[in-house]
Amino acid sequence: MSAIYLMLPIALLLGLSFVVAFIRAASQGQYDDLDTPAHRILLEDKISQVTLKKGNL
Amino acid sequence: MLQKINIFESVAGSVVSTGPAKCVHCGLRIPAGVSGMFCCRGCEMVFTLIHERGLDDYYRIRDQGASIRSSRPAAVSSESLNFYSHLDDPEFLNLYCQPEAGTGLRTMQFYLEGVHCTACVWLTEKVSEWVAGVRSIRLDLGHSLATVKLDSNGSFSEVAREFMKLGYRPHPVKQDEAQALEARENHRALIRMAIAGAGAGNIMLLAISVYAGATGVLQHYFEWVSFLICLPVATYSAWPFYRSALGALRSRQLSIDIPIALGLSVAFVASFISILIHSKHVYFDTVSSLVFLLLASRYVLRKTQQEALHATRLIHFLTPSMARRKRVQGSGFEEVSVDSLQAGDHVLVLAGECIPTDGIVCSGISALNLSLLTGESRPELVQPGVPVFAGTLNTQAPLEIEVQSFGSATRLGKILSSMEEHLSRKAPIVAFTDQISKAFVLISLALVGVAFYVGFTISPAEGVSRALAMAIVACPCAFAFATPLALSIAMGRFARYGVLIKGADVIEKLAHVNQVVLDKTGTLTTGQFEVKKWLIDADQVGIEEAVYALETRSTHPIARALVSFLKPRLNGREIPGVEEFSETIGRGLSGRIQSHPYEVQALNEELLNGSPNLSNDAGTQIAILKDGNRVGRVTLGDSLRTDTESAVEKLRALKLGVKILSGDGKSAVMSVANRLGVGSRDAYFKASPEYKSEVIGKMPRALMVGDGANDSIALASAYVGVAVHSGMEISMRAADVYQRQPGVMPVVHLIRASRETLKVIYRNFAFSLVYNFIGTYAAITGHVSPLFAAILMPISALTVFGSSIVGTRKLRKIYSQLSDESQEAAV
Repeated sequence: MSAIYLMLPIALLLGLSFVVAFIRAASQGQYDDLDTPAHRILLEDKISQVTLKKGNL
Repeated sequence: MLQKINIFESVAGSVVSTGPAKCVHCGLRIPAGVSGMFCCRGCEMVFTLIHERGLDDYYRIRDQGASIRSSRPAAVSSESLNFYSHLDDPEFLNLYCQPEAGTGLRTMQFYLEGVHCTACVWLTEKVSEWVAGVRSIRLDLGHSLATVKLDSNGSFSEVAREFMKLGYRPHPVKQDEAQALEARENHRALIRMAIAGAGAGNIMLLAISVYAGATGVLQHYFEWVSFLICLPVATYSAWPFYRSALGALRSRQLSIDIPIALGLSVAFVASFISILIHSKHVYFDTVSSLVFLLLASRYVLRKTQQEALHATRLIHFLTPSMARRKRVQGSGFEEVSVDSLQAGDHVLVLAGECIPTDGIVCSGISALNLSLLTGESRPELVQPGVPVFAGTLNTQAPLEIEVQSFGSATRLGKILSSMEEHLSRKAPIVAFTDQISKAFVLISLALVGVAFYVGFTISPAEGVSRALAMAIVACPCAFAFATPLALSIAMGRFARYGVLIKGADVIEKLAHVNQVVLDKTGTLTTGQFEVKKWLIDADQVGIEEAVYALETRSTHPIARALVSFLKPRLNGREIPGVEEFSETIGRGLSGRIQSHPYEVQALNEELLNGSPNLSNDAGTQIAILKDGNRVGRVTLGDSLRTDTESAVEKLRALKLGVKILSGDGKSAVMSVANRLGVGSRDAYFKASPEYKSEVIGKMPRALMVGDGANDSIALASAYVGVAVHSGMEISMRAADVYQRQPGVMPVVHLIRASRETLKVIYRNFAFSLVYNFIGTYAAITGHVSPLFAAILMPISALTVFGSSIVGTRKLRKIYSQLSDESQEAAV
């Protein structure tokens, strides 16, 4: 049972690192626009001509 | 062109094969009388441009279409492509552009009209690839904001022109301090919430171990760790509640934050003391989860409110802020900001544009649409020497105007300043929900005293312990977060439908409205010409074909109305050719068809005198002459929207009085009033903007619906003002609600949904009362333990949370109707 005295702080430190990551992301404004990234992920950088010709409309 | 058609077939074939002809570019139905693949020249230009740039993928991406928000792409006129030069003015850049220190990069934000889907994101961001000097372009679809980053070689005007060519009219957005502050405040709120959430989750794990039976050193260890985690939650995260409670105390007001701050701080401190003295009253889990829930609900409300405000703020840009000024030296026109115009300047106003200042016509003949300024539905003919006013719409031909007064000295400016004055005088209304929470606060504070007294009769220590328990249990958290949640659900639903509610308190006011006052032109009616009566002498043949042949050659609103009226009647009959066609603005059209001279002209005063019964007909009279003899007569007018009658009926079913308040003439107003069953005492006509406001000011709890500048003062002085989408978006600043949807139907939905939302709030209140009663009883009799609080609090919170989400059956029905209607509009 004494393992918990070590495990608990480690687990909390792990949790803390995520909180810190979130704080950084939030202050950089990553959560300001929640709409567009969902669309942007659908866009390929370069759409090949083959896909176009196949008429995948 | 051939190549273009091939592309058109491969790219947009699906659009063509289904249903009626739709524009290849924007997907809107191609209006009657227009042939080809596009609904307008603007769309054709954009299509050509996209194709030339090798960007046909736009259509592929669009048709795979993720979500499409319904909105029409801005129409492009070829004249405006040479403008936006003022964007490179150093003075302008100073105000609108943010230089990046060190890198030499410059950033400007544009509000883009008409961006609505994934393909728009792709297309606008692609602009950076072919305009020189553009480092990056990022589009925020939700706010229609594009952030353009340029290096020192780039010019913003070039980017703006490129956006314009693609059909997204750009409006530069001023960078102001308030916005940056708001963004920082939002980030902070998000961080407070995250800390509270992480804390609550971890503390709950530890608390469960204790409840499950951890004892001795282990229990003590868990409690100390909980304390450490809870410390930032109870201080940093909960800070807004302490601040607001202190503010309320200082101004000697009761606020729901007082018992919240009291409960949280008492629970935290008492728990800390409990650890020190090894007592069992440790409430860290309850404290942290309550802070998280409260912050989350307030964050959601705050976001919804900000979205609505942002949207209305940005729509300001739709009102023209540019004017074309004639160069003093040399020829031609330059684009300048309206603010820099001086008396004596000459400005050019194209057809379809708003007149920017008050002035006098120096050249050109055209018809003006006054409806936004005066509410009058009939177009006014202007010619050199005639005064024109800012805010009226030039419908027909280019006009050159000499500026006389500008800015706040115009008639429009005076209306606006009067509106601002009324707006500032509007007394804040004490929301009923606020009053409820005040009662709540008083009662819970009194109960803390009762608990102390009851405990004190046993022992002083017991008195303190019971008073603490009472303070914790009486914290009206459930109520405090369920109300904002219910309100933000309503606001969010309506925002998606295209109706922006500017504040949470507006919903309560909407529920208390007892009469609805409607503007006529543009609100009840379409604000556009339609044929009402078509009388042709019985012995004449071929008149319809001849009139159609003549009218297709004109762009006047009356001509368009005649064409769309005649097209279905002709039924594919052959249209004769026209010789010697001529158009006299303000009079009509003439031409020779099959060797007969035809004329279609507006009936002027002299003709009217001959047949007095004509003047009783509301609307504009047109005569058709063949060989110089009158063979027919047409009455045109502004007709009711298709859903107006059923909407008014529904308003009456909601037990609301319906009145009409219009700036239009008596006959036009009365004919509408008769059709809608509004009594003559409830229909006001020829009302000036000031008179409208006076009438509304005398009606308590009246909701005013209007568009245009002539309604803006009335909207500001009404109990609730609803601004309807129109060409000019001035009225929305005065209004509490702004609807992008036309017509009165959204108002019906709004009032019904608001009433239901208020019912949900009352229901939540009842739930909270029940739980608090149980808690109070337990606290006074000394049965409150940490486990008790840890169970009771979340249960009460979840109940009201669920109650807010589920709403009522009627509310769900209204919301599903809203999403159906907005989907229809998108198709």
